[in-house]
Amino acid sequence: MNGRQALMRDILVLVGLIGWALVLPHYGSEFAVSMGLTCLMYVALSSSWGLFCGSTRYLSLATSAFFGVGAYTTAIGLGQLAWIEVIVLGSCIAGLLAIVMGAAVLHLRGTYFAVLTFGMAELVRHAISYFEKSASGTVGRVLSVVPEMSVLYLTVLAIAIVSLVLSIVIRRTRFGLALIGIGADEQRAQTLGVNTRLIKITGFAMTAAVAGAVGAAMAVRWTYIDPHTAFNPFIGFQTVLIALIGGAMTLWGPLIAAIVFSILAETLRLQAPQIYMMSLGLLLILSVLYLPGGLASLRWETFRDWWRGTRAWVKDRRYELSGDKERDKQRARRRRIV
Amino acid sequence: MRFGGLTAVDRVSVNFYPGELVGIIGPNGAGKTTFFNTISGVLRPSSGKLLVAGRNLTGQRPHRYAQRGLARTFQTPRVFSDLPVISNIEFGLKFAGRRRRKYWLWGDETTVPWALRDARGILSLIGLSQVAELPAAAITPSQQRLLEIGMALATRPKMLLLDEVAAGLTEGELEEMARLITRLRDELDLVVVWIEHAVGTLLRYVDRVVVLHQGQKIADGTPTQIIRDPNVIEAYLGDEVLDLGEENR
Repeated sequence: MNGRQALMRDILVLVGLIGWALVLPHYGSEFAVSMGLTCLMYVALSSSWGLFCGSTRYLSLATSAFFGVGAYTTAIGLGQLAWIEVIVLGSCIAGLLAIVMGAAVLHLRGTYFAVLTFGMAELVRHAISYFEKSASGTVGRVLSVVPEMSVLYLTVLAIAIVSLVLSIVIRRTRFGLALIGIGADEQRAQTLGVNTRLIKITGFAMTAAVAGAVGAAMAVRWTYIDPHTAFNPFIGFQTVLIALIGGAMTLWGPLIAAIVFSILAETLRLQAPQIYMMSLGLLLILSVLYLPGGLASLRWETFRDWWRGTRAWVKDRRYELSGDKERDKQRARRRRIV
Repeated sequence: MRFGGLTAVDRVSVNFYPGELVGIIGPNGAGKTTFFNTISGVLRPSSGKLLVAGRNLTGQRPHRYAQRGLARTFQTPRVFSDLPVISNIEFGLKFAGRRRRKYWLWGDETTVPWALRDARGILSLIGLSQVAELPAAAITPSQQRLLEIGMALATRPKMLLLDEVAAGLTEGELEEMARLITRLRDELDLVVVWIEHAVGTLLRYVDRVVVLHQGQKIADGTPTQIIRDPNVIEAYLGDEVLDLGEENR
């Protein structure tokens, strides 16, 4: 499939997604709309995460910090500023935080980077709760003036669309190629003329800006925020898991995985919440072992290969367990001695 | 260049002139690769200066060196394994290899040698046209080494640093590689600096040789001069150099 066909396919799927998402509030129950909202939130978060962290292989666990910063911007600013302004402001502050964090941490690789981003997220969380307690004297904040559910839904949908369009566009530009080069071999990319530090910080800030915007929007869903819920690290983990299981380097992987996971989350949450967490972990292990490209790399051949692999394994076990393998080994040994 | 207590390269001062093919030889541990890493920006020198066409590039990051026309290959070929061969070459073209176009974003690029005009041209120059669509991990190691050179050329360099490109090649392949390198030097008017262990082949083709030993420069001259240089004979595989002296005589 050449470039133009791929672009058409991407645009078609995007349009289809927008169509479904716009129709859902009119025909779906409130439960379905709530599920759709969570789904769109994770689509935005994980596709922007996957765009930077999937290509460059720098796994960032700081998403919850940016989300929380956005949420707090709404909590503090919603009284004075308009809705759109608050979202943009939350996104900008999260981006600035990412630039500072990135300058400090982006020269490290692999596990160091992942753990340090997580540490910095916790640092931001504790800094804000300390600040709140000492300066404002409160533990949490109540949002009294909130926009309607439909406004919230449309905002999160808009952010998800922006995130997906960014994904579609950036992959085809020099910036996207530079990200892939950094992920493939950073030093080689440097000697070929890529300004890796600038590109990494820009990509990281982009991820953070989307996460901040999503956080700013979702804050109105819970009318009471405190550092514990706004900076909940599970949001960061779930973003990473969805992007990885869906296929971090692909465009539609995070989308597919986000849909699957929201359905799973909402259906399992009431009956057996622990099973949801366990199934997330189990799916991650299975996908790393058997489907490293993620859900987006599933093809008919994959199922065929799994089926063949399983049959070959069963055949091997039968051969071994029935004792035939031992007998053949003995025969071969005797022949060699003779 | 100092690593903690170890001085890997000690006050080595070399001038390179356009259009010459310089070889750098020396026993293992003489500091050749460290020297390369320092002059291509991968390592920051602990002391000393690096001037390229009058510009001071000391301490800048590698992408700046690439943009100023200094390209290098690595000892073990580092290619982008998932991308196809032609995309590997296009990578360099899109970054350090970009040149101003005649009519700003349209038209031919100005000041680019004809042989380096596009990815296909570079592939035919190094002789890998037939494997253009294969992923870079699927070609043989000697082809990967050629691809390394191609990627370095894609940045339209003025100076090309080749780090042991002939390691592990047979006699015939070695001759071909040397011929390719001289051809690059002639057609593209580059400075080519070549580190090598295969001293014999190197001495046949280069204009000038710099000999490093334990981090210091012990000789700098034409091949015939350094063969007779007593420091070189004493420090470095004396027999091999003498044998070459016999050959060349």
